[in-house]
Amino acid sequence: MKGRLLVVIVVVALVAAVAGVVKLTGGAATQRAASAGPAPRTAWGDPDLQGIWTDPYQTPLQRPAQFANKESFSDDERAALDSQRAAIPRRDQRVERGSERDVAGAYNAVFQSVRPTGKRTSLIVDPPDGRLPPLTPEATTRNAAEREYRLALLQPTETCKKKDAACAGGKYGSVSARRNEIPPFYNTGRTNRNDGPEDRSMAERCMGAVLPDFGGYRRIVQAPGSVSIFYDTGQGQGWQRVIPVDGSPHLPSSVTQRFGDSRGRWDGDTLVVDVTNFSPKFSYQAARENLHLVERFRRVDANTIEYSATIEDSTTWTRPWTVKQELLRQDEQANRIYYEPRCHEGNYGLPTMLLGTRIEERAFAKGEGPDPATKDTATDFGNEGGADALTGAAGAIF
Amino acid sequence: MGKTIAVAILSAVVGAGLALALMRSAGTPASSRSARTADGKPDFNGVWQAINEAHWDLQAHEARAGMVTQPGVYPSYEFARVPAAPVLALGAAAGVPGSIGVVEGDGQIPYTPAAAAMKKENGENWIDRDPELKCYLPGIPRAMYMPYPFQIVQSTNKIQMAYTFANAARTIHFDKVEGPPDDTYMGHSVGRWEGDTLVVNVTSFNGKNWFDRAGNFHSAALKLVERYTPITADAIRYEVTIEDPEVFTRSWKISMPLYRRLEPHAQLVEYPCIEFAEEFLYGHVRKQPLVRRWEGETMIVDITRKVPPGDKFHDWYRR
Repeated sequence: MKGRLLVVIVVVALVAAVAGVVKLTGGAATQRAASAGPAPRTAWGDPDLQGIWTDPYQTPLQRPAQFANKESFSDDERAALDSQRAAIPRRDQRVERGSERDVAGAYNAVFQSVRPTGKRTSLIVDPPDGRLPPLTPEATTRNAAEREYRLALLQPTETCKKKDAACAGGKYGSVSARRNEIPPFYNTGRTNRNDGPEDRSMAERCMGAVLPDFGGYRRIVQAPGSVSIFYDTGQGQGWQRVIPVDGSPHLPSSVTQRFGDSRGRWDGDTLVVDVTNFSPKFSYQAARENLHLVERFRRVDANTIEYSATIEDSTTWTRPWTVKQELLRQDEQANRIYYEPRCHEGNYGLPTMLLGTRIEERAFAKGEGPDPATKDTATDFGNEGGADALTGAAGAIF
Repeated sequence: MGKTIAVAILSAVVGAGLALALMRSAGTPASSRSARTADGKPDFNGVWQAINEAHWDLQAHEARAGMVTQPGVYPSYEFARVPAAPVLALGAAAGVPGSIGVVEGDGQIPYTPAAAAMKKENGENWIDRDPELKCYLPGIPRAMYMPYPFQIVQSTNKIQMAYTFANAARTIHFDKVEGPPDDTYMGHSVGRWEGDTLVVNVTSFNGKNWFDRAGNFHSAALKLVERYTPITADAIRYEVTIEDPEVFTRSWKISMPLYRRLEPHAQLVEYPCIEFAEEFLYGHVRKQPLVRRWEGETMIVDITRKVPPGDKFHDWYRR
């Protein structure tokens, strides 16, 4: 569970970082300049959802404990939180050269930029406490098995020796025999092993984007009977989706897809999209092939789409839960979205991580270096410099 | 006289109504099958596919025994090549269909001498060099005639094209828009209407794409003018004028029909090839290689084809 959450955190953090950079070039200005008018309609009479849209605010998925009984922030509270958060140095601790965690300064303070505080204290609006509903016993068992395996592989690392939070529930010890086992689950997260691509996270394999997506930019183009959404998300891991809005049935259940199978219908002025047929090879939170989404898109005025997603998987959560956010229209010209997802084309990171481990293994075999199994390549160390009230961590959002 | 006209009008109305009813009963929404959009333009909405061999080679070519071939018993005869190990086990399913080609005029691609040599080398090193095998974004025009369906979502100011292969996409802009911040695989597309023809200028390429599996290629100086003209409601004439002074001595043109996928509820089904290409790209850095042999970065392909017990063809020869 923690591993999967980490993946989500990493992907979302990357999105946030990219979004933060883009925002400087126009997003904020657009919001001020354009005045809200009535929601437009297309030439053929459907509600018009077209344009480039994003949620420009930093809102955690789950409501932080300190805001337990609070659904929204006042403008003053937002300003106060923003100035508090602006004071966080967000220094990437991996900037220190020559260390095991050194990433050659690849992620500087600009990359770590975050979005301003929004009105909502959490994206989750139902359950009313803004928290994920409890997991089913089945999901708890599933997650525990996964966690146990991950901790076994983390066992011989400094992370466990230092009792870092990433090793919570685990212990420090010698290299576990479980390292030679096939994982008892289909891995989508960062594993402390580099035997092959399957040990790395979906994000590192350039397949990190998931539906639902709450962080990225999206370009919507409509036609009678179909709605196209291109998601610019996850550092060049964007993806294209065409939603049929023509009364057609879902794909047969034997056909599963990474982004599921979407079917839309108009309920008054709201586009309601039912998404099923998810692939077991990808995970959202702790859900896989049994994930079921009901998304709603309603353009409330010229500049705003109210978006909600009801997320359901009776094998994972004890009840459905709902996320809501306001997507704000972005300027077509100033706000050039990164519409070409080419993470894969430039993915030197994945083979380099694998090759690096092969080199370390050879060195270890000759007695010229440490056992690569003792190095932590699973934990996202992120950055340091103080906790963010909206994240509970530094830098990363959600 | 008046009666005759009235009857004629009545039968025309009934006929039209009947035709409309038939169209609706075919299972495709009438909206996606009408010949014109709300703003009076030809309606290209829907799922389309080229049905030709251009993805193998834009130029006219004979059928080949295998996607990859090697010299046969007559090493000096190019026409006598036989399937090579990578595809041998696939038998007659691994050949390449012949084609009359899609290059207009004399059917030749006007390469500069240096580029012609590069094209030949590309073809000889197809497996090592073709970006398609790595699941890289296919580029334009290649994405238009790959053997997968693509979808057009046609609005007033934008047309979105979604491709099955690699989940690639492009937006055709009719309104004013700045160019992309960097060169691209899929190009920057700006559209306009010339009567019933959609004309799209495509620029800002990074020069990393090929045109086909034969090694035909271009540089970052590529500029395309695409023309989409309706033939019927279910067929589009697709023409592309190709200009790239770094590689070609003059501009040249390809032309082919694109066909509407007429199945009820035709839709794109994911072809998630990033995952499919991982073994090909990263197999050599695995701890325990999954294919028979990697030697450093080189994949040595051994093939075992066992004769199944009771195979009549082999039993006959064994008598």
